[in-house]
Amino acid sequence: MELLKVHNLKKTFPKTKVTAVDGVDFSIFKGEVLGLVGESGCGKSTLARSILRLTDVQEGSVFYKEEDLLKMPQGKMREIRKSLQVIFQDPYMSLDPRMRIGSIIEEVLLIHSDISKIERKNKVIELLEMVGLGGSYIQRLPRELSGGERQRIGIARSLATGPEFIICDEPISSLDISIQAQILNLLLDLKKKNNLTYLFISHDLGVIASICDRVIVMQSGRFVETGSCEEIFKASKHEYTRQLLKSTLICNYNSIIV
Amino acid sequence: MLLEIRDLKVNYNVDGHPVEVVRGLDLDIKKGECIGLVGESGCGKTTVGLSITRLIPEQKGGIASGRILLEDRDILSLDSEGLRKIRGKRISYVFQEPFSSLNPVFTIYEQLKEALPKEVDARQSIPEALNNVGLGNIVGKEKLYPHELSGGMQQRVMIAMAIISRPDLLILDEPTTALDVTVQSQILELIMGLKNRMDLAILFISHDLRIIFKFADRVNVMYAGRIVEVGPKEKIFSHRAHPYTRGLVDSIPSFEHRKKRFNAIEGRTPLFSDLPKGCKFHPRCRFKVDRCVDREPDLQELSSGHFSRCIRAKELMSNGAIKST
Ligand SMILES: Nc1ncnc2c1ncn2[C@@H]1O[C@H](COP(=O)(O)OP(=O)(O)OP(=O)(O)O)[C@@H](O)[C@H]1O
Ligand code: SF4
Ligand SMILES: [Mg+2]
Repeated sequence: MELLKVHNLKKTFPKTKVTAVDGVDFSIFKGEVLGLVGESGCGKSTLARSILRLTDVQEGSVFYKEEDLLKMPQGKMREIRKSLQVIFQDPYMSLDPRMRIGSIIEEVLLIHSDISKIERKNKVIELLEMVGLGGSYIQRLPRELSGGERQRIGIARSLATGPEFIICDEPISSLDISIQAQILNLLLDLKKKNNLTYLFISHDLGVIASICDRVIVMQSGRFVETGSCEEIFKASKHEYTRQLLKSTLICNYNSIIV
Repeated sequence: MLLEIRDLKVNYNVDGHPVEVVRGLDLDIKKGECIGLVGESGCGKTTVGLSITRLIPEQKGGIASGRILLEDRDILSLDSEGLRKIRGKRISYVFQEPFSSLNPVFTIYEQLKEALPKEVDARQSIPEALNNVGLGNIVGKEKLYPHELSGGMQQRVMIAMAIISRPDLLILDEPTTALDVTVQSQILELIMGLKNRMDLAILFISHDLRIIFKFADRVNVMYAGRIVEVGPKEKIFSHRAHPYTRGLVDSIPSFEHRKKRFNAIEGRTPLFSDLPKGCKFHPRCRFKVDRCVDREPDLQELSSGHFSRCIRAKELMSNGAIKST
């Protein structure tokens, strides 16, 4: 079943006249992990933001449950955002330096749910544990955390509304490999348990290979190749895909030491 | 030996109390060798790098004890004049966050000049350094500012600044984490090319075992402020004689691992203010036995140059499928 159907989506930045997304068509099926890979600046994040209407587009449609998100009234869109979540690339900016970690996460629960104070507190601890931290972080300030620890807070915050579809925009690229594996485990577990669907954006082909069912390769606003994970990694047709595979350090375990 | 770190201890002040985050660390770097320092976020890697160049701000804590010998001279006993002769001259540092390290209000040329000792001729050294890092196309463009360059080019400038005075040791702290894969692989190739041409020793700090395995000659695995396994990379990879190393290797994402759960290291790194008794890894260890909690294991030598801080190292090595608990 198609969960989202994107048609002829086009986004040009008015000032610079850069066309970041140049008329793309694709569907995301319920329960799948769709990978989106490409170099920075190729339009991955703009595409993600366009789908969720976090940025205006010039053309196209994004159908979700028979309705075009791009034509939906603001109020309804706000409600739907709870089920269509995004885990951002860089949560540093959005962490208020004066707020304690507990409050930073609790804030999201306050906006999106009406659970009691005690439930909120437990939920905050649960979320912190989910991302590999724990209750002892509640009283800490962002600046007291190392880079990796701060990134996990951003992820905990995005998981707080209990979404159905999550765009993961480079959610783990600044985490340790060990924690990446934990988060990938977590994303796989959550997906299974709640029948979640992911659009997984990454420049790391190793990560894409390990989690995705299908893969889209993007270059300069367009899709150059789309296929199953096997097709992309074992029988890529496009020159650009092969070039990306070549510069990736490893996507095959067996080639770690050369 | 170019650099020898012995029993280094470093404290940070956390809420007014000193907390030890480097807890007796030994590390050797030979001339022209690439040493990998790998471990999870917060284990103290950057602190080690900063200690070597004595860049830890005094008010935040400081080096409590130990020795850091640069060809037999103890860096820890140098005065500020002595430090000036070393920093950026014999030991250079490329920081974790490259984009914030270039000053936006000065031109690239001005910043390169700043990195040079006064007695060196900038007119010759700057073009040479730029050519060395593959930036021949900006030689002579003296009015160029950092923001006019892409992230990859900025990182090349940082490396040019680091090598312009021909140091013996280059410390690279996650030098490519913020970059795209294609740019990342170009920068890594560049660094390795420079290493061979200039006979540089490199301390390569990263959480990414893939990069470390690819580029380091010897690998130091760090956990909770100490080295837990060290050796030539082939030995580390084939034996994985510490459960932590095993967990790191099992966490590497790959095509073969598709859609299976990773055999990830559960839990999180302990807080330095609340370290477990005995082996610091035991709360997360699949191979833990009762005696692991008694005392922190010493590094034991398993074969020439290969050490592990695990009491079950020999069992792990002799039987890859040792029963976990
Ligand atoms: N200025 C500081 N004041 C107090 N504690 C600090 C300070 N800087 C770092 N720490 C703490 O010291 C420990 C070691 O930090 P360090 O930055 O050396 O780790 P790292 O291994 O480089 O981590 P990363 O991979 O995230 O860069 C961490 O627990 C961190 O929270
Ligand atoms: S000493 Fe024990 S707890 Fe520590 S790593 Fe070895 S087996 Fe695990
Ligand atoms: Mg660091």
